[in-house]
Amino acid sequence: MNNFTTDVVIGLEIHVQLNTTTGLFCGCPIKPAEPNTATCPICLGHPGAKPLVNEKALEYGAKVALALGCKIAPTITFSRKTYFYPDLAKNFQITQFELPLGNNGHLVLDDGTIVRIERAHLEEDPGSIIRETESVLVDYNRSGVPLCEIVTGPDMHSPEQAREFMKKLLNILGYLGVYDPNTGIVKADANVSIKEKNYTRVEVKNITGFKEIERALQYEIQRQKSQDVKLETRGWDSEKGITHFMRNKETEADYGYIVEPDLPIFEISQDWIRSIQASIPELGEQRAARWVKDWKIDETDAKIIANNLDVADLFEKVAKKSKPIIVSRWFRRDILRQLNESKLELNDTKFNENNLAETINLVDTGGATQQVGSNIIQLLTLQDISPGDYVIETGLQQISDSNELKKLCVETITEHPKAVEDYKKGEENSLQFLVGQIMRKTKGTANAQKVKELFEGLLK
Amino acid sequence: MRISEFVEAAKKGNINIIEHTKKALKEAEKINEEYHYITAWADVEQQAEQLQKRQEEGNATGKLFGVLISVKDDMCVKGIESCASSAILKGYKPLFNATAVERCIREGAIILGKTVQDEFGFGTFGDKAGIGYKKPKNPVNKKHFPGGSSSGAGGLTKLADFPHLSLAESTGGSTAAPASFCGVIGITPTYGRVSRYGLIDYANSMDKICTMARTVEDAALLLEIISGQDEHDSTSAPEKVPQLTDIPANVNGIKIGIIKEAFEGADNHVRKQVLDAVYQLEQKGARKIEISLPITMKYGLAAYYVLAMCEASTNLAKYCGMRYGQHEKLSGNYNEYFSRVRTQYFGEEVKRRILLGTFARMAGYRDAFYTKAAQVRTKIIEEYNNVFSQVDVIITPTMPITAPTAEEVKKLTPLQHYLMDVITAPINLAGLPHINVPCGQHNEMPIGMLITGKHFAEAKIIQVAKAVENNE
Repeated sequence: MNNFTTDVVIGLEIHVQLNTTTGLFCGCPIKPAEPNTATCPICLGHPGAKPLVNEKALEYGAKVALALGCKIAPTITFSRKTYFYPDLAKNFQITQFELPLGNNGHLVLDDGTIVRIERAHLEEDPGSIIRETESVLVDYNRSGVPLCEIVTGPDMHSPEQAREFMKKLLNILGYLGVYDPNTGIVKADANVSIKEKNYTRVEVKNITGFKEIERALQYEIQRQKSQDVKLETRGWDSEKGITHFMRNKETEADYGYIVEPDLPIFEISQDWIRSIQASIPELGEQRAARWVKDWKIDETDAKIIANNLDVADLFEKVAKKSKPIIVSRWFRRDILRQLNESKLELNDTKFNENNLAETINLVDTGGATQQVGSNIIQLLTLQDISPGDYVIETGLQQISDSNELKKLCVETITEHPKAVEDYKKGEENSLQFLVGQIMRKTKGTANAQKVKELFEGLLK
Repeated sequence: MRISEFVEAAKKGNINIIEHTKKALKEAEKINEEYHYITAWADVEQQAEQLQKRQEEGNATGKLFGVLISVKDDMCVKGIESCASSAILKGYKPLFNATAVERCIREGAIILGKTVQDEFGFGTFGDKAGIGYKKPKNPVNKKHFPGGSSSGAGGLTKLADFPHLSLAESTGGSTAAPASFCGVIGITPTYGRVSRYGLIDYANSMDKICTMARTVEDAALLLEIISGQDEHDSTSAPEKVPQLTDIPANVNGIKIGIIKEAFEGADNHVRKQVLDAVYQLEQKGARKIEISLPITMKYGLAAYYVLAMCEASTNLAKYCGMRYGQHEKLSGNYNEYFSRVRTQYFGEEVKRRILLGTFARMAGYRDAFYTKAAQVRTKIIEEYNNVFSQVDVIITPTMPITAPTAEEVKKLTPLQHYLMDVITAPINLAGLPHINVPCGQHNEMPIGMLITGKHFAEAKIIQVAKAVENNE
C-alpha cells in the first residue's frame, strides 16, 4: 500500500491566485468590482463564446514551476473537469489534467526534508457563492481568474513543517511577483493521515495562509488520535478552529476529464523556457545564503531580511555603502520594526539607500549615538530628512568630549549616592542606571561607551 | 442570376434594395409556412433601408451587397434568438455576432433569419428539431425528410428563388446530408478554415461553419468571405485563404480516388448515378484510381460518435436554466433544479448523447472509449494523408440513400440511424474539406456526390465540383 513510517503524513494542494491584469481565458479585468460587472460572454460561459489563453498567465505559471525546480512540459494542453455547481459558469472547469505545466520539482525545508512538488498547473477559478438566509447568490466576477495549483508529495510530517513549507512557498511567490500578498488568495487543501490509524487519509479543505495550516493540522491530528478515522473530506472552520465533515471519498465526483477542444496544443520551446528562467530573480533563500557566505551576516538576520524582495534589494544597496554586518543589524532591529509597527509597505516609506546608509555610517563613525540613529530611522518612515543636517540642527551630535562627560559623571555620582553604593557592593546593574542618567541629561547624545568607562574609572 | 451579378446590379442602383428585399421576405415567409425552415426572423426591412441609403449616398460596397443570408440556428446573431433549435435555449439572444455572420454583414449582406436544425446538430434526417419546433419538410417532396442537421439551410436554399446564400454547419455530416437530400451545393471547409467564434458548440474539435447555395460558384463566394484566421477562435487556422471564386471547371489530369466499400454500402440507384457522374469526369480527362481506407471505413464512424458525444456531453452541461435560456420556478436544491430543467427541455436524442458521451469519458471507461477513439482519429488522419499523396480528390456518394420518409425512418434503430453517416463522419472526424454536388435523382429525390480533398484544398474540390455541375 504505502511505505509510510512516520507518525504523521501530510501532503498539500495549494491554489495561488496569480496577479495577472486579466482573466485566464478572457479580457475581464481582475480587480474588485460590483457583483457580476467584471464579466463577459467567455467567463459567463455564454453559448458561442470561446476561451483564449492569457499568455501572461502561462508565463507566471511557468515561473512558479521553474522556481520550484519543476520540469516544464513540452506541450501544454488544457482539459475540462466536469461537475455541476452554480458557481461554475460552464458546469465544467478548464484545468490541466494529463500533462501539467510543471512536474517533478521540490522544495527543501530547513531541517533538510525534501518536499516533492508533484505538479504545478494552471486552472480557472469559479465564481463565488454568497449565502443569504433564504437563498444563495452567485457572483461571477471571480470566474476565470487564473490559479496555479501546486501539489506536493506526502512528504511533510508535522503541522510545523507544513507551516514552514507554506511560508517558504509564499516567499518564493512574492519574489516572483506573480502573486499579490495584499489581495491575492492562497488556499490549501491538506491530506493528512496518522500511523496509529493506519494512515487512513483525510482531506481538509479551505485553509487560508500559513498560520492557519498549522492550526488546522494540529486540530485534525488530535481529532484523528481521539476518534475513528474514515476516508473522507472535511472542511476547516477557522472561526471555530475545527474541521467538519463534508463528504465521503466514495461518493466523490468522477470528473470525466476530456481535452479542452476549444484550445490548441501549445508547443513549448526551450527558448521560451530559458527566457522565463532568466526572468526569475535570485530567490530569498539563495540570497540569504550568499550574504551569510560573503558578508558573514548572521543566518537568522539574513533569512528575515531576505523574506521580502523589496527589503532585500534595499538592504543590498545600503550594505554596499556601509558595513554589511552592521547594516544587517540595523535592518533587523530598526527598519523591519518600523515597517511592522507602521504597517507600511517599504515603497510607502521614505527609506532609501542614501538616507539609511548615512544614518548608519553616522552612528558607526561616532557622529551620533545608537539611540539617535534609531530615532532618525523612525523619522525616515514618513519624511525624507538628511540625517547629518538633522543631527546638527537639533544639537544631537554625540558628546565624546571627555572633560564635558567627566563633569556630568561627577554630577551624577553626587546626585545618586545609593546607586554608587550598590555599584561598589558589586551590583553591575547600577552602573547601567548611572549611564542611563547621563543619556537622559544629554537627550541620548552622550557616547555611552565612554560614559561607562568614565564611571568605572571614577568609582574604582 | 449569379450572386455576383446581382450584387453588381444592386450596387449600381439598378435594383431597389428595399422593394427587392420586401418581395424576397414575402417569398421566404410563404415557403416557411409550408416547409418550416425559419425559427427567428431578423429585422430585414431595417437592414434593407440602411443599404438603400448607403447606395444612394454612393457608398455601396461589399461582395454581398443586398444579398439575403440565412443563418443556421446554432450561430450567434446579435439580438436575435439563437437556440440551436433547442427548447432549453428559448429566449437566448446573443450579445455578439458569430465571426462568420459579422464578415457577411461587413460585405453588405442582409441577415434574413435563423434556419431550423436538428437540436444542437444531433441528427441526420432533419427530424430532430427540439421540443416545440415544427418539423421541416423536404423541399422536393414534403413527405420526405430534408436531411440534417442543417435542415432549414438545405430546404430554403433549394426553394428560395431570390438571391440567397445560407450559412450551415457540420460536425459529422450536417451540411453534406441535407445538401444531398435537398439537391443543393454544400461546402464543408477544412477544420479551422472558418472561425467557430459564435458557434454554439456540438463537438468543438469537429464543428465547422459551412456554406450552401444553388451553384458551386455562389457557395464558394460565401466561403471565401467567411474564411481566414480569427483572433476570437484560437483553433482557427493561420493558413492563407486562396481565391475560391472564378475557378475554371477543369478536371484534365485530376486523379480521383474511389473507395470501393463506400459504394458497396449505397443503394443501387445512388451508386449507379454517382459512378455515371465519375465516368463523365473521366471523359473530361480525369483519372479514376481505386483506393482503400481500411481503418477509416472500419473504425471511423465509431470513433466519430465516441468523440463527438464526449465533447457534446460537456458542452451541454452549461444548459441548466440558470444564466440564460429557459428557466423555471426555483425550488429544491441546485441539483434537483438543474435536473428538472434539463429533463423538461432537452429532446430525447440530446439526452441519449449526453448519457453515452458521459459514460465514455468516466473513469474506468475513459481509456477504452475516449482515449482509444482519439488514437484512432490520429490513425485515420494518417490514412487519409497517405491516400492524398496518390490522388487529388476522393469521390463517394454523399448519403447511401435518397431522402427517406417518416415511415422509412421510423423503422430504423438508433444504430442504423448513425450508420447513415458512415461516409461523412470519418471525413469530418479528419477535418477534411468536402462538397456535395447534386448528380441525379431517383423518383424525383436528389442524389448527391461527395468530393473530398486534402486539408486546405478547398480550391481543388470546388474545381472538380464545377466540372460535375457542368455534366450533362
